[in-house]
Amino acid sequence: MSAVEASTLTRRFGDVVAVDRVSLQIPLGGVVGLVGPNGSGKSTLIRMLLGLIRPTSGSLRVLGEPVGGKGDYLSRVGALVENPAFVAGLSARTNLMSLAQVRGLPASRVDEVLETVGLTGRDREPVKRFSLGMKQRLGIAAALLPDPELLILDEPTNGLDPSGIVEIRGLLGRLAREGRTVVVSSHLLAEIETVCDHLVIIRFGELLFAGPITDLLAQVAGHVEIEPEHARDLDSLSAALRRAGRTVEATETGVRVRAAVGEAAAINREAAQAGITLSELRTVRESLEQVFLGLTGTDDGEIAADRARQAGGENR
Amino acid sequence: MIDALRSELTRSRRPGVLGAWLGLTALFTVMIVVVIFQLSTDPAGVPAAGPGVAFPTLEMLQSAQGLVAPLASASSMFGVVTLAFWAVLTASDHSTGLVRLLVSAQPRRWKLVAGKVGALVVWTAVATAVAVVVDLLVAPMIGGTSDLDLTAWGTDVASVLAGAWVNLFLALLVWGMIGLVLAVVTRSAAIAVSAGAGWVLVVESVLSAAFDGLRNWLPGSTISALASGGNDVIPYGSALALAAAYVLVCLGVTLAVFTRRDITD
Repeated sequence: MSAVEASTLTRRFGDVVAVDRVSLQIPLGGVVGLVGPNGSGKSTLIRMLLGLIRPTSGSLRVLGEPVGGKGDYLSRVGALVENPAFVAGLSARTNLMSLAQVRGLPASRVDEVLETVGLTGRDREPVKRFSLGMKQRLGIAAALLPDPELLILDEPTNGLDPSGIVEIRGLLGRLAREGRTVVVSSHLLAEIETVCDHLVIIRFGELLFAGPITDLLAQVAGHVEIEPEHARDLDSLSAALRRAGRTVEATETGVRVRAAVGEAAAINREAAQAGITLSELRTVRESLEQVFLGLTGTDDGEIAADRARQAGGENR
Repeated sequence: MIDALRSELTRSRRPGVLGAWLGLTALFTVMIVVVIFQLSTDPAGVPAAGPGVAFPTLEMLQSAQGLVAPLASASSMFGVVTLAFWAVLTASDHSTGLVRLLVSAQPRRWKLVAGKVGALVVWTAVATAVAVVVDLLVAPMIGGTSDLDLTAWGTDVASVLAGAWVNLFLALLVWGMIGLVLAVVTRSAAIAVSAGAGWVLVVESVLSAAFDGLRNWLPGSTISALASGGNDVIPYGSALALAAAYVLVCLGVTLAVFTRRDITD
């Protein structure tokens, strides 16, 4: 069973295709990053997962249950969608109590989630006095109320100070280690790279990539910097790698090879086959941010997008 | 459904909102009692009706029903307040985005509607009780200063008060349901209140004046008849039946829209 399983999932709003034939599987357990530029269809996808919006076509299963049925799976799903929504004049505790009641949960659950997000002691204050960060914590607390197997958080660190971000990052990791699946939508790609195991990238409603982050980073362009043991082997090393079909460029003390980071071992082998021993081999990979921008924001991104589709195809 | 009702009661227990609702109800009760007894001493006589108010005759004021006559007379004023608070408490779920949390917590959306209606019915019952109690306290004081013979007011007080509470409560229920359906359809309290109050107080008056037969069944006429226990235009039984029909239509539209619509707020 997957946490989420979508097949040719499509949602149209009039002429606009918000989600376009998306097929993906999100495995159970771990933290999954959902990224894409503004208007890429992330929110629509999240709303479909929560049964707030119905798909135009295609199928969607969450925790093994089809979305669009009775929605029983939602008792095992917690979510923070867009900005936290509460009654400003009521206290944090009363707001959570009201949400616990609608789910038929005991009052003790409110105390537990308040403690989890560090709001115990401030829970009697009206939400209108809360800072953005505190509201965000309250939103996460609301999402945690059903003790969810699948937790969907839209920009969970929005408005949090650095220590709050570290705290939430720790919380997400802890929840994942407990066997839950946490889907995090965020624009903070460094944050996503730090926290997530899997990644889903969408643009203009189309799926660009779905799979482990390591797969994406391994297969997108980076480079490998190598140095031969003896400086006199520099020319022969470059020649050997060119014969192997690689693009190389000389540096002061070695050679820079354009290659995916996963190809370091192959490059080492090619050097050895040419009778050259390497004294240095360094893989330099693009950050997730660079990969993301390449995939979604620039002309060069079209090439990267094709690469990512190929990479994603192996993981879907 | 009980869970949804408990949740809604918890969430709607906002001191500011409830205070304003009950406070306005009390204030309007005092105002209408004062105005009615002030006019009763006017040599020009009691006017037939004002905007949203139908003034009782002197005979009515001096009867046992006179004790509660101001409530029925001002039912439209109470109604607009009720419509506004039903609309505010419904539309704010959409404007704040709270509806996202609620629907993802309770996918059987009809239960959310049932919980919302249940809670608002409870608060409407409380508001009606406030109006009756304030009337009971204020009317004898103000009435006592007039030249009217109020000896009949002591007759069968409990039954008179109970009847007034039931009639006003049912009338306010119809007003509230109109606020609910408009708020669900428009997702805006401002539009719902404007449309609801504008229709019942203005548009319907124009239509009734233009087309005689319409006043026998339009919502505003029905609600007024219901609040006063029936009148010359619509007998009580017909008013009850029509009111029930309006409630069912409002509830049906609310359920149809809320359970089928995408939540994009």
